[in-house]
Amino acid sequence: MPPKPDRTRTQDAVKSDTEMSAGPSRRQLLSAGLATGVGVAAAGMAPKAVAATADPAITTIQDWNKYLGDGVDARPYGVPSPYEKEAVRRNVAWLTADPKSSVNFTPLHELDGIITPNGLCFERHHGGIAEYDPAEHRLMINGLVETPLVFTMEDIKRFPRENKVYFLECAANSGMEWRGAQLNGCQFTHGMVHCVMYTGVSLRRLLEEAGVRTNGKWVLAEGADASAMTRSIPLEKALDDCLVAYRMNGEALRPEQGYPLRLVVPGWEGNMWVKWLRRLEVGDQPWHQREETSKYTDLLENGKARRFTWVMDVKSVITSPSPQAPITHGRGPLVISGIAWSGNGTIKRVDVSVDGGKNWRTARIDGPSLPKALHRFYLDLDWDGSELLIQSRAIDERGFIQPTKDELRAARGENSIYHNNGIQTWYVKADGTVENVEVS
Amino acid sequence: MLKFPKFLGALALAGIAISTSAQASGDVAKGEKLFNRCKACHAVGAGAKNKIGPHLNEVFGRTAGTIDGFKYSSAMKKAGEGNLVWSEETIDEFLAKPRTFVKGTKMSFAGFRKEADRENVIAYLKTFSETGADAKEEAMPATEEKMAAAAPAAAPRPLAKDAELPSHGVFHLGRRATDEEIAAWDIDIRPDGAGLPDGKGTAAAGEPIFTEQCASCHGDFGEGRDRWPVLAGGFDTLQEERPEKTVGSYWPYLSTVYDYVRRAMPFGDARSLSDDEVYAITAYILYLNDIVTDLDFELSKDNFSTIKLPNEANFVDDDRPAETHYTNKTEPCMQNCKADVRITGRARVLDVTPDDDNQGGQIE
Repeated sequence: MPPKPDRTRTQDAVKSDTEMSAGPSRRQLLSAGLATGVGVAAAGMAPKAVAATADPAITTIQDWNKYLGDGVDARPYGVPSPYEKEAVRRNVAWLTADPKSSVNFTPLHELDGIITPNGLCFERHHGGIAEYDPAEHRLMINGLVETPLVFTMEDIKRFPRENKVYFLECAANSGMEWRGAQLNGCQFTHGMVHCVMYTGVSLRRLLEEAGVRTNGKWVLAEGADASAMTRSIPLEKALDDCLVAYRMNGEALRPEQGYPLRLVVPGWEGNMWVKWLRRLEVGDQPWHQREETSKYTDLLENGKARRFTWVMDVKSVITSPSPQAPITHGRGPLVISGIAWSGNGTIKRVDVSVDGGKNWRTARIDGPSLPKALHRFYLDLDWDGSELLIQSRAIDERGFIQPTKDELRAARGENSIYHNNGIQTWYVKADGTVENVEVS
Repeated sequence: MLKFPKFLGALALAGIAISTSAQASGDVAKGEKLFNRCKACHAVGAGAKNKIGPHLNEVFGRTAGTIDGFKYSSAMKKAGEGNLVWSEETIDEFLAKPRTFVKGTKMSFAGFRKEADRENVIAYLKTFSETGADAKEEAMPATEEKMAAAAPAAAPRPLAKDAELPSHGVFHLGRRATDEEIAAWDIDIRPDGAGLPDGKGTAAAGEPIFTEQCASCHGDFGEGRDRWPVLAGGFDTLQEERPEKTVGSYWPYLSTVYDYVRRAMPFGDARSLSDDEVYAITAYILYLNDIVTDLDFELSKDNFSTIKLPNEANFVDDDRPAETHYTNKTEPCMQNCKADVRITGRARVLDVTPDDDNQGGQIE
C-alpha cells in the first residue's frame, strides 16, 4: 500500500506557492493540479533500495483478488478507471464571455503516445454543441459547379473511404503567453491541440462529383450550428489533402467535434475544420467571413495585420514533467516526455535542453512519424535531483526550426494572439514541482 | 393538465371539418404515387413494420407517439400525451408543415404544400385503416385479427438493382440541389456585395433594434459588456499595448458585418432578424463608429459596396516564412549556445479570476 499523503508537507507546499504568487485564484489552479501535488509530497524524494517492512499491497489478500468483479455488460460503453478522474478537459473561465462560445483544453500532461482519446479532445464552439439526428443532416455543394448537389450521410458513406491521422491545433493555442509566462500547466498553455485518426471521404472526390468549374478558385465551408461557422479555403488546398470525416478513432465523431460530419484541413488552423459541415460553396474569390477578418488575423507591432495565416508552424512542448505533472520520485531515471508537430509535414528531430537552452541533446521520437500528426518524443535522463530549466525545440521535414518566444516577439510584437509556437520553458525545482517560466 | 394544449384547437377544428365533410375526397391512386416520397421511412400495408418512421397501418384513430417499440422524438410523445390523435384533419395539418405542427418531430420531410396532395395521400392511407378518427374505441384487437387474416404480400422492399442512378459525377451519389434549397442556405455576402439581398434600413431604424437585440452583450453604444466583443471605437489603438479591435478600428469589410449578423446574431436566436433589420443594424453600427454621421443614413443593396471601412488597407498576406528565424535554416546550436541563463519571467497565472480584465488576450 502506498504511504498516506503527508498533509503537513502538502500544506507547506501550498503555502509556499501562495506566498510566491499573490492572488486568490492561485487556489483554483492548485485545486486542478492538487491531486498530483499530493503525490509529490507523499512519495518522498529519497529513494529507498530496500523496504523496511513488508509491503501490505503484497502481503494482504486484496478484495479484488478474492471477490468477483462486474460482468461484461456493467459498462456497455467503457469509461476510464475512477482513479483517472484528473484526466479531463478543463477551461479557463476568464478567457471568454460565455461557455457557449468558448474553449476547453486537452489534458496533455495525462496523455502519452500520439493519439488523443475522443473524450479528451479539446472543444471550441462558437454557438454551443449542435446535437441532432444524422438522418436530418445534409451536405450541399453549390456555387461554381456543374451540378449543385445534396448528399445524405448515407450517400457520403458510399464514397471510397480514407483513414488519416492528423493533429488539429487551434490558432490561438498558447495565445495567452504572448506577453509572458502566464498559465501553469501545459494543458492551459498548449492544450488546444489533439490528434486522432479520421475516417472519411476526400474533399476532392466530393467536389469532383459536383464538377468544379474552371473559374472556381475558393471553397467556402459552412457549419450547421448556431454560429453557422464559415471559412474560405483556397481550392488548391481543398483538392490536395482535405477530408470530409464522419469518424474519429474508429467511432462516430463526438457531438462536440461536429457529429455527424466535419471538415479536416490537415496542418491548417483548427477554426477552418468546420464542424457540423453542411455546405461547400465554390467561388472565384474569398468571402472574408468574420473568422478570417475580425478574428484569426494576426495583428503585428506596426498595426498591420496578417490575414489567411493558415499553416500551423513547427511546435513542441514537454508534457511531463510540467506544472500539472510534477516529478514524484527522487533522483535517478526520469522520463522527459513531450509532443511535437508541424503543419508542414513530419517532424524530423526534437532537441531537448535541461539548462534553459545552453546545451541541447536530441530526443528519441517513438511511435509513428506521420505528416501533420503529433509526434511523441522522449529524453531518458539520469536526474541528479538538481533544478532544471527544460525546453524542447522541434525541426520539421522542411527544415523549419521552432523559434524562441523572444524571436517571435521581435518579429511580431505581442498582440498577435494567434500562432504562438515559441519554445516553452519549465522550471523544475529540487522538490520536483514545476513552474512555467521564461529565460534569457 | 394538458401538456399539448395546441391540439385542443386542432381537435375542435376537426369536428368542424367532419361536419362540413370538406375532405375525404382524395384520389387513392394518386395518393399511392405520392406515398413513394414517404416510403424511405414509412411502411404501410399488410405486415408493415416500423422503419425510420413508424408503420402507418391503422394510423387513423391512433394517439400520436404510441406504437410500442418505436423510438419517437420526445416532441411526438408529448403531443400524444397532450391528446393528439391522428385523424384526417390532424394528419392534414401535420403533413402541411410537420415541423411546425409538432415542433421537434424527427420526421425530416418538409411537408406536402398542396392541399390536393395531402388529400390524396390521406385517401391512400385510409385504405389501410379500418377505424376512423372518431371511432377510436374500436381500435386494436379486431385490427390485428384482420391483419393476420389478410396476411400475404407485405409491400416488397425495392430491389437494389432497380435503384435509379443519377447521371452526374463519377459515383452518381447525391442528388441535384434545388434552387429553393440553395437559396435557403446560401446567404453569404462578399466584400463586392455579391449575395446581398434586396432591402434597406436606416441607422435611425437600427437604433431601437440594436438596443433590444444587441445591447445586452455589446452595450448601448457598442462598447461591449463583460468580455463580449466591442463593436465601436478603438481608433488608433492597433499599435498600443491593448488594441481595441472593433468594426471601425479593425474590420476590413462591411460585408462581414451584414453576413455575420444575418447568419449568427443575435447570439442564441440566429436567423431571427429580417433582411431590412440587418441593413438597419449594420447602418447603426456604422453610425456608432462615426463612419456615417447622419442618423437618417439609409443602407441598401445599392449603396452597400460604396462604404469602405478605414482599416481595409492594413491587412497583409501571410509572410511568416520570411521571418529571419525561419529563413535561417542552418543547423541549430547544440553546445554552449549562451553564456548565461536567467529566469526572466514566471507564470503570472496566478490570476485566473473570471473578471480580471488585466490578464491575457482574448481568444475569441
